[in-house]
Amino acid sequence: MDWLEQELRSALARKEPPPGFADEVAGELAGGARTVVAWPSRVTGRWLAAAAAIILIIGGGVGYRRHRGIEAKRQVMQAFAIAGGKLNHLQEHLKEVSQ
Amino acid sequence: MTASVLEPPAQTAVEFAGLMKQHQAMVFSVAYHYLHSRDLAQEVAQEVFLSLHRNLASIQSPAHAGFWLRKVAVQRSIDEGRRRLRRPQVALDDVAEPAVAAAASSGDPMLGETLRKLIATLAEAPRMVMILRYQEDLDPVEISEVLEMPLATVKSHLQRSLALLREKLARRGLGER
Repeated sequence: MDWLEQELRSALARKEPPPGFADEVAGELAGGARTVVAWPSRVTGRWLAAAAAIILIIGGGVGYRRHRGIEAKRQVMQAFAIAGGKLNHLQEHLKEVSQ
Repeated sequence: MTASVLEPPAQTAVEFAGLMKQHQAMVFSVAYHYLHSRDLAQEVAQEVFLSLHRNLASIQSPAHAGFWLRKVAVQRSIDEGRRRLRRPQVALDDVAEPAVAAAASSGDPMLGETLRKLIATLAEAPRMVMILRYQEDLDPVEISEVLEMPLATVKSHLQRSLALLREKLARRGLGER
């Protein structure tokens, strides 16, 4: 083996990972197990609650607009009915005058 | 061998810890020398051991565990390198060296750093070939098995990389002594 290969072996010698590496892996393994047991997690629960609130707000808004539409339609129909009645009454009055 | 050495749950935990202690320097170093980032190397090494834990049932012997870990460490490092979409540019100047294993360097620290920087400039295949040759002390046949690469290609990468390193060192006035 020549000098370069010897230097390469030194330069690429194995290095230990930072202290606490094994504990981090163990923590990841334990964390994975907790995630399975505790579903939905606190974070997941928060997201679910936020999503439910958004759906309620949007749903409420849509419902309110629909209710207002129905009410407006009812008022218009009522106005047509009144106007129609008055027109009929006027038409009858004109017939009487012409006779 | 057909039976798993890691069947009973309590024994599994003990043996997993043992395997990790035995191989963590190898796994971390493959990723570190390939990616040239301690943080990335730590992430990759962590993934490799989590993957080992998921696949313990398929591990047939301690030797198989070592081979499996090396292969997965190599593949994950290459994947991570591709995912980052950047060649590991030399970022070692302002990064402290990790703790060196007891049997490590007796060489020139300055030259060692230069060599690591030069290896970081190699393309992915020759870079990994050099790491497996000089970090893991694998012969070309073993390297071709780990990388699933033709033996002739492995030998070619080794020869070309060594020639390139010699040339670059000579240009820096760090030639043969």
